[in-house]
Amino acid sequence: MVVRLGPAPILLASVDRLLRAGPDDGGVVVFAGRVRPDPRRGRRVVALDYEVDRTPALERLRAIERTARRRFGARKVLLWHRTGRVRVGETAVVVGAACRHRAEAFVAARYLIDELKASVPIWKEERARPARRPPRPPRRPGARSAG
Amino acid sequence: MTPTVRVRLFASARVVAGRASLTWPVPSGGLTARRLLAELAERYPRLAPTLRASRFLRNDRYLADLDERIAPDDEFAVHPPYGGG
Repeated sequence: MVVRLGPAPILLASVDRLLRAGPDDGGVVVFAGRVRPDPRRGRRVVALDYEVDRTPALERLRAIERTARRRFGARKVLLWHRTGRVRVGETAVVVGAACRHRAEAFVAARYLIDELKASVPIWKEERARPARRPPRPPRRPGARSAG
Repeated sequence: MTPTVRVRLFASARVVAGRASLTWPVPSGGLTARRLLAELAERYPRLAPTLRASRFLRNDRYLADLDERIAPDDEFAVHPPYGGG
């Protein structure tokens, strides 16, 4: 099992090596959550700042991993969350479950991400900027400006 | 010297109180989590709604109930609703 919590960028290319699925693991499901601009009310998110209470967070992540093994038959588990500033387009969280079959792998991975969001002391704060307005149409020659 | 506990505030609790940690006195009769929370809400009235929605830890362990005693030098953490992912 792998539990990671820190500011280093999450590299999806390294997930396979970290999860270490074996020859009997016929189903592997990996979910990656990425920061998106989420434009609304004239603003767009440029980054999320993640805050964590590290000791209880690591304990909760390990408890989630144990439950995924016991209840859902996960044979290998990966739980990885970034902390600090994560910019739009970057990966904030990855969970992965390797099981004998795909059905239990999907259920286990769903449990991992849902339980992580609900019960691990991690918080995010949006960093946003005003959304770009569409460019103004060119002025007609001789047109007066309003006001 | 007056015995104290350290109160750690996270996320919206930190923002509302304007600081990440507080040193809080322990009265001679002792301090329960319930009393500590009442005192915090009295000092920081805008914190009260956040406290009602929060979970609490003493020395990195979730509280079983609010009558748990908080001893001098303990660390008491306020966790507003989580938002990872």
